[in-house]
Amino acid sequence: MGVGELKYDMSQNGYIKLVLHALKHNSAAVNGVLLGRSTDDVVEITDSVPLFHNHLGILPPLEISLIMIGDYYSAQGLGIVGYFHANERSDDAELGNVAKNIGDHIYRYFPQSAILLLDKKKLEALPKGKDRSPVMRLYTRDATKNWKLARSDRGNRLILKEPAANIVLLDFVSSEKWQHLVDFDDHLDDISKDWLNPDLFK
Amino acid sequence: MVTKTEETQLNRLEGQVENGGGGAWDYLCFVRKLKVRRSDKVLKYGLSILNDPKKRSSLGPEEWTLYEQVAIAAMDCQCLDVAKDCINVLQKRFPESKRVGRLEGMLLEAKGSWTEAEKAYLSLLEDNPLDQVIHKRRVALAKAQGNMSEAIEFINKYLEIFMADSDTWRELAEIYVSLQMYKQAAFCYEELILAQPTVPLYHLAYADVLYTLGGLENLQAAKKYYSSAIELTGGKNTRALFGICLCTSAIAQLTKGRNKEEKDSPDLQSLATAALEKDYKQRASDKVSVLGSALKSLKVSS
Repeated sequence: MGVGELKYDMSQNGYIKLVLHALKHNSAAVNGVLLGRSTDDVVEITDSVPLFHNHLGILPPLEISLIMIGDYYSAQGLGIVGYFHANERSDDAELGNVAKNIGDHIYRYFPQSAILLLDKKKLEALPKGKDRSPVMRLYTRDATKNWKLARSDRGNRLILKEPAANIVLLDFVSSEKWQHLVDFDDHLDDISKDWLNPDLFK
Repeated sequence: MVTKTEETQLNRLEGQVENGGGGAWDYLCFVRKLKVRRSDKVLKYGLSILNDPKKRSSLGPEEWTLYEQVAIAAMDCQCLDVAKDCINVLQKRFPESKRVGRLEGMLLEAKGSWTEAEKAYLSLLEDNPLDQVIHKRRVALAKAQGNMSEAIEFINKYLEIFMADSDTWRELAEIYVSLQMYKQAAFCYEELILAQPTVPLYHLAYADVLYTLGGLENLQAAKKYYSSAIELTGGKNTRALFGICLCTSAIAQLTKGRNKEEKDSPDLQSLATAALEKDYKQRASDKVSVLGSALKSLKVSS
């Protein structure tokens, strides 16, 4: 099946972690990595690890994080299947070059990889409506090697596995659960901080 | 820049105030001193003092400083009515004040009225061409509209006058990195290292940019700056230790097949590896095996 029809199924925990990360550092650009596995017509995004909130454009922390995270999850039969990015400004809906370059790097290891870009306007509107669709935009690489926004005429290609994910997310937001979220930047500053965030969903 | 000790102190104070243990004014003064951005807490604690007439009068002349601090925090949290109220109080007390004029400009910024804000700042600059805060507001205005080239232009003009302002050199470097203009970012870090050669943060950031630029010369230079960062931090900086491993690996890849005498001695990498392993065993024992496999994949056989 061509990448153009591939669906991306995202777990609630993986989804919530990334949005909380963006909210914790709401005046900065942040990014994260998506973990999962692929079957014939679906890429399952089973988990995510929030990466950085500073200097997203430099290589050394990115390289270390991808090696360590990749190694950890491969023991569970999972691999890196994509990349998440949130822009600094809430009205910036463009996929920037840093995001595209990191996406390209991940693409080399996983050709069905996706880039998810946080839609900050949709996130802001979430408490007011009953939207169950993810507050992220999906980009995949087409035959011309460009990252293209996924077409919505054939239905949503990015699906939240648990339909109540947004309700759970809003609950976490109102209880300010993002305060204790640890990203890879935090880990490099203090290695006793765990980027797996084992206690977040307890 | 804030040290780890200062951050821990601040967090402890914040927790104390949050749990009803008092110390709000100390917290607010500390935030002002460290110049950190904790607008939601500043707004909450600041308003609790300002809205209590007894607490407010006990501040004496510091009351006006608090109004200013709360106004800015309110703008950051998009509570524009609160900000307007604070600014009105300051206007009544200090009519014709340039400092209040600055706050009015910031309020226009917070509302998204970019043209009016720019007009306000330019008119303030006519009377005060060397007001550093207003110059920086113009940069922030450009950044907020996504006009990065204008922001860079303003910062460069500012640095021609205020070339010792290290915070601004850092801001410029960060903007360059976000635009992947690494050579220009490297230049900024070089200026910072020249001015303050014992700040390890600058050595580390410079090394990161050199590594990202790539190429044998840059990688060898990066290795030197990771080393100096390690020296300046007594070997405790995880990022610098990882940096050594990454550089050694990348250099080995580039010099494969070359004469063995030209290659770097492996001592530095094994020292860095040992330091990392020891630290992880002590403080992140569940990640030791992941660290081990990562370091193994970075060891290129000679």
